[in-house]
Amino acid sequence: MRDGQVNLLCKIVAIMVMIFLVAPLIIIIVVSFTPTALITFPPQGFSLRWYVNIFAGNTKFISGLINSLQVGLLATILDVFLGVLGALSICRYNFKGKDILLNYFTSPMYVPSIAFAFVLLQVYSQIGGINGMARIFIGHMIIILPYIVRNTVSVLHVFNWTLEDAATSLGANPIQVFFKITIPLAKPGIVSGAILAFLYSFDEVALSSLLTSPRFVTLPIRIMNYMELTFDPTLAAISTLLILASLVIIVLMDKFVGLDMFMKN
Amino acid sequence: MATLELKNVTKIFGDFTAVKNFNLDVKDGEMIALLGGSGCGKTTTLRMIAGFTEPTEGAIFVGGKDVGKIPPYKRNVGIFFQNYALFPHMTVFENVAFGLKLQKLPKAEIEQRVSEILGMVKLFGLEKRYPRELSGGQQQRVALARALVTRPTILLLDEPLSNLDAKLRVEMQVEIKRIQKELGITTIIVTHDHEEAVSLADRVIVMNAGQILQVGTPYEIFDHPNSTFIADFMGFSTFIQGTMGGAAVEGKRPVTCSGKTIYVFAEAAEGIEPGSACVLALRSEHMELVQEPGENVVEGVMEAATYKGHTTRLEVTGCFDEKIYPAANEYIELEAEKPVMVHLPVERLCVYKNNA
Repeated sequence: MRDGQVNLLCKIVAIMVMIFLVAPLIIIIVVSFTPTALITFPPQGFSLRWYVNIFAGNTKFISGLINSLQVGLLATILDVFLGVLGALSICRYNFKGKDILLNYFTSPMYVPSIAFAFVLLQVYSQIGGINGMARIFIGHMIIILPYIVRNTVSVLHVFNWTLEDAATSLGANPIQVFFKITIPLAKPGIVSGAILAFLYSFDEVALSSLLTSPRFVTLPIRIMNYMELTFDPTLAAISTLLILASLVIIVLMDKFVGLDMFMKN
Repeated sequence: MATLELKNVTKIFGDFTAVKNFNLDVKDGEMIALLGGSGCGKTTTLRMIAGFTEPTEGAIFVGGKDVGKIPPYKRNVGIFFQNYALFPHMTVFENVAFGLKLQKLPKAEIEQRVSEILGMVKLFGLEKRYPRELSGGQQQRVALARALVTRPTILLLDEPLSNLDAKLRVEMQVEIKRIQKELGITTIIVTHDHEEAVSLADRVIVMNAGQILQVGTPYEIFDHPNSTFIADFMGFSTFIQGTMGGAAVEGKRPVTCSGKTIYVFAEAAEGIEPGSACVLALRSEHMELVQEPGENVVEGVMEAATYKGHTTRLEVTGCFDEKIYPAANEYIELEAEKPVMVHLPVERLCVYKNNA
């Protein structure tokens, strides 16, 4: 009897959570096709004019997108390099303080990004001459590193290191072992970490808003600035496109992370 | 194909000596088993031969050449790993072809050699499968094929039968031996299982605490271990304390155990002074239950009986201070306190000095 009640409660909560998660997304998508200049629900008719508006030069969304992609991709690529090496050294070797090192690598995750941005701002002004893209790039590179380290470590934690010995005994030198055995097998962790890191950089607001300069503005900051001045369905349209892009990335990630069944020997 | 020689090899990790002054000579095509419990240094020895760790002292010679300066990927040593270590992201074909591809052999030759070796380990039609799609026995064959396909000079087998069920064990044991003889490849087996060592190797080396305790043929090691430690390790079940008697009569010497006289062969008791403490050791299956009293027949009472399928293992008290554990080739029902007579065959008795 009581089990039944608990069960019902659980179901209701679960359904509510799902509604609250999905409903805003659906409304945004529907509203983005409205022809009126004000956001109304349900929309009065159908129009793609707000989508066209995204690409209009004066909104500068496209240049923001390009900036965001530049920062995100560059920071991710560099961090994959650094993060994978860091994760490998932590998992492969036994040394004093390896747990501390792992926590050090992942510490940017626990520091509020606004506090971190504030410190970084001080550093920039002390050094001087750091402007444009570098200001945001350096910040992003630091705060997204934990995602790559964490995900790679989680795969390497269960890595069967004997495989490296096996490859070595078959004539593979250390470089061949690394590229033919270690990296392919760590790939699910590296790829999922890289995607998470990129996504974090792509919609990062707090840090970017403090570090941004008029010469280099990322897409989230563009959207925020636009919202302060005009509140029209262009925002819904661009949000819809971003949701779509995220969906594509999630599907890709699922495909790659789906590979982790290879890890089970 | 080559000889293998270890000269005064010592390996020290920090303040732990894993292998101590180890000397070994392996003939071309010989199959040697390193037998010992965990931490006895057998795996460290294997890793030194493979080149994964360097000896602290001493040298390793393959075909008469010091391999100390040769990195592991140039040693051409085939290794069969205990957990198989098959590459999970590669198919059976890719796993076996891995070493050949690194040698940059022409594609046709790689394919030919892979199918040849897969035929030798009796794996057909599974080339496109991934390791996780294979049974344990099949994975093991792939691992063996992969270790052999590069035609290594030395083959190292790490607990080759330990992960298999009883039926597969026998099958694989025959296979490994057949392939090893067919290829004439110098082979080292590392194992903690005396059956595995005895059934596969030409020569068995018993190790403990990084040192060699006994070297001998499987028969010598199995039936005539040179210490109670090895006897215990080789599955001897019954150990009886006693005092060595005087001079030999008709090739036999008496031993007094708990007031009873047991005869042992004089040659088995060589070097043990009359009057000194000694230990008799015996396997369960070598003791027999008898109906008539006689030489080396002792009386006791049954305390426990464990049926094991083809034998029944008994626990008998009252013969000596120690319990004895004879085994019978039939089903025996436990009848507590039932008197039994047990014959300890003189030709089966091993006798050791009691140093304790």
